[in-house]
Amino acid sequence: MRWSYVAPRLTLLVLVWAFFFFAFDPLLKWGMIKGIEKAAKAKAEIAEVETGFFPPRFKMTGVAVGDSSAEFANVVEFTEFSFAAEGGPLLEKKLVVDEGTLTGLRFGTPRKTSAKLPFVKEEEEESKLAAAMSAEAKNFALDRVGDVKTDLSADYKVEPEDLESVKLAKELEESYKTNYAGLAEKFDDGKYKADMDALKARYEKAKDEKNFIKQAKEYADIAKDAKKVMDAFKKDKAAAEAALAEAKGAFKKLEEARRRDQAAVMAKMKLPSLDTRSIGRMLAGPMIAEKTEQLMKWMAIAKKYMPAGTKGVLKNEAPRGREVHFPKEKTYPTVLIRKMQLTGELGLDQPLDYSGTIEGLTTQPQVYGRPTIAAIKGAKGPRRLDFRGSLDATGDLIRTDSRLSYSGMAIGAMSLGSPSSLSVAITGATGALEASAATEGDKVSGKAAFRLTGASFKPSAENIKAAQLRSAVESSFAGLTSALIEADISGTVTKPELSVRTDLADNLSKAFSSAMGAELKKAQDAAKAKVDEALKPYQDRLDSMASEKQAELSNKLKASGDRLSAEGESLLKGSSGKSPLDRLKF
Amino acid sequence: MNPLSLIRQFIKGLTAETTPGQIGAGIALGFLIGLMPKATLTAQLLIVVMMASKVNLPMAVFTVAIVSLLNPFIDKVTDPIGYALLTAEGLRPLWTKLYNTPVFPWTGFNNTVVPGGLVFGAAMLAPVYLGGKKFGAYYNDKLRVRVMNSKLVKSLKASWLLDWYFKEGV
Repeated sequence: MRWSYVAPRLTLLVLVWAFFFFAFDPLLKWGMIKGIEKAAKAKAEIAEVETGFFPPRFKMTGVAVGDSSAEFANVVEFTEFSFAAEGGPLLEKKLVVDEGTLTGLRFGTPRKTSAKLPFVKEEEEESKLAAAMSAEAKNFALDRVGDVKTDLSADYKVEPEDLESVKLAKELEESYKTNYAGLAEKFDDGKYKADMDALKARYEKAKDEKNFIKQAKEYADIAKDAKKVMDAFKKDKAAAEAALAEAKGAFKKLEEARRRDQAAVMAKMKLPSLDTRSIGRMLAGPMIAEKTEQLMKWMAIAKKYMPAGTKGVLKNEAPRGREVHFPKEKTYPTVLIRKMQLTGELGLDQPLDYSGTIEGLTTQPQVYGRPTIAAIKGAKGPRRLDFRGSLDATGDLIRTDSRLSYSGMAIGAMSLGSPSSLSVAITGATGALEASAATEGDKVSGKAAFRLTGASFKPSAENIKAAQLRSAVESSFAGLTSALIEADISGTVTKPELSVRTDLADNLSKAFSSAMGAELKKAQDAAKAKVDEALKPYQDRLDSMASEKQAELSNKLKASGDRLSAEGESLLKGSSGKSPLDRLKF
Repeated sequence: MNPLSLIRQFIKGLTAETTPGQIGAGIALGFLIGLMPKATLTAQLLIVVMMASKVNLPMAVFTVAIVSLLNPFIDKVTDPIGYALLTAEGLRPLWTKLYNTPVFPWTGFNNTVVPGGLVFGAAMLAPVYLGGKKFGAYYNDKLRVRVMNSKLVKSLKASWLLDWYFKEGV
């Protein structure tokens, strides 16, 4: 034995043990703090990190992550996160945890020390959606309503190039053309013709077959294959028609854009819109947009760290030789927490205790094969929280589905609208929120309903110069104690679209109508007509192009279908009359 | 093993553990290691055995390098042997069991050139050892003095870094 080789290595083993016993936890803590700080771009604290090897376990306590956009606030804070890992999978370099615990989870907590990191560039991210909604609320015109009788619309000129609906019509035209070109290229009837010609050739050959049994079998096969060709054609035809219809469905957005243009034109002409949608957007839009932006920001962050939808682990081939794989009794993802117990508090003034579980947290959902499911419940006094969410990344597209119900929340004070046009201060309300959202890949859809009860509404209408209208607006909120604000979200995670409704808007709309009557309506109709007139040539062109292309594709599909049927028929007629092909009807 | 230590062992091996048997054993072990893909536990364990045993290290390391260079050709022999073993119906339960046993997959046993290399290496061990032993006698007799007096070895021995690092000298 070469002791000069063995002895140093034994010493090294002792040193390794000493390292893990004395130095590993502090070093790990330091590394984790640095990692979190780099990701959060703000200071992070971890009170203690504790690891153990027999059994493999991990615990960290007193974790607080600063908010990069708020110096004296934490974005998240929790008391303890601990788990014990399974030993077997660790030998395969896999971290599998049967049950983990996360306690004292809170968001937005205050911190005593600054969360700012030196040399970190502050990112001023302007929320486009919130900014657009705020601008819409701010520009909501109410100050010149008294002048509507002077025919304001006559002087105002609408430039088609400035209209959102015109821009959208042009975009839709281009995208429709591209989609159609793609469909026309994809729907290649040449391949069906080639298939049918091949069948005809086989049929001709089969006619000369002397062996009757072989001939009958070949006829049956040809019939089967012909049916396959027809089925494939029908499937492709249906897909092409559906794709074209879907492309045309996008035209519906034009109507929304037209409404927004009309509201914008009226705002520029200093005319208030009687449209409840516009009023609803003015009142509740900024608040909902801000919340939506926050939600989308969190979703975008979550998506960034979501595992890629590949089965990369299974593509590990050796540079030399060939790897022979055997059945695996158990395949583990690289990281898996089967169940995480969760407790925490929601809100700062009167925190709501909640608890729940998150099941199936993993970095490789396709290997695990099950979605991540979260269920959280909380209750305190009259308040009730119920959240259920799932994230399914087992397929090619990541799908999420979540539902939130939060009732009995005390609303100290909130404000709707904009002080520049019309704002409403709400006090002493109790709120109840029902929301659901789903995503599929980048697409997002969802709805939320926020009901306020026992509230006191105080409109601030100083900017409305017309006394008649101001009085109508003020009286429309008198005696009101409840309100419902609803929002629908669609579009994509990066570019969400909002539709906002509220019964407050109905009240306001009625107030506007009763106060200003027919004159206002006339001026608004004139403004709307200007938008419609500017949009008409573009919309007509779009509609006629869509009809033309649809007719063209339908004719092409019909012609291909007829030809295939005719060829099938001729194939049948050419048979002896006793073959199984007789039973084939196209 | 750090590179300096390897050089130290290498140079020491030029003067110590140079009996024909030790040279033959070094060449045989080097031959076996050379057949293995190095990023496997099997190869690493064999390297530990090589370093821990009193075989002639320079010859072992030299043989590992030569055989590794010839792997593209040798694989044509070891790969079919390994494939035959890994796909043999009789051995399938054993491989499946090993495949599902912790740590064992790290040995790379399911790579055709590992079992193939082990079988081929084991079969060739005795002839290679005997050939190496003969070469050891020849080396001691004819080459050793020339190698020790070569410029490369002299410059390595004269290096201040090695002198400082080894202290006891080589």
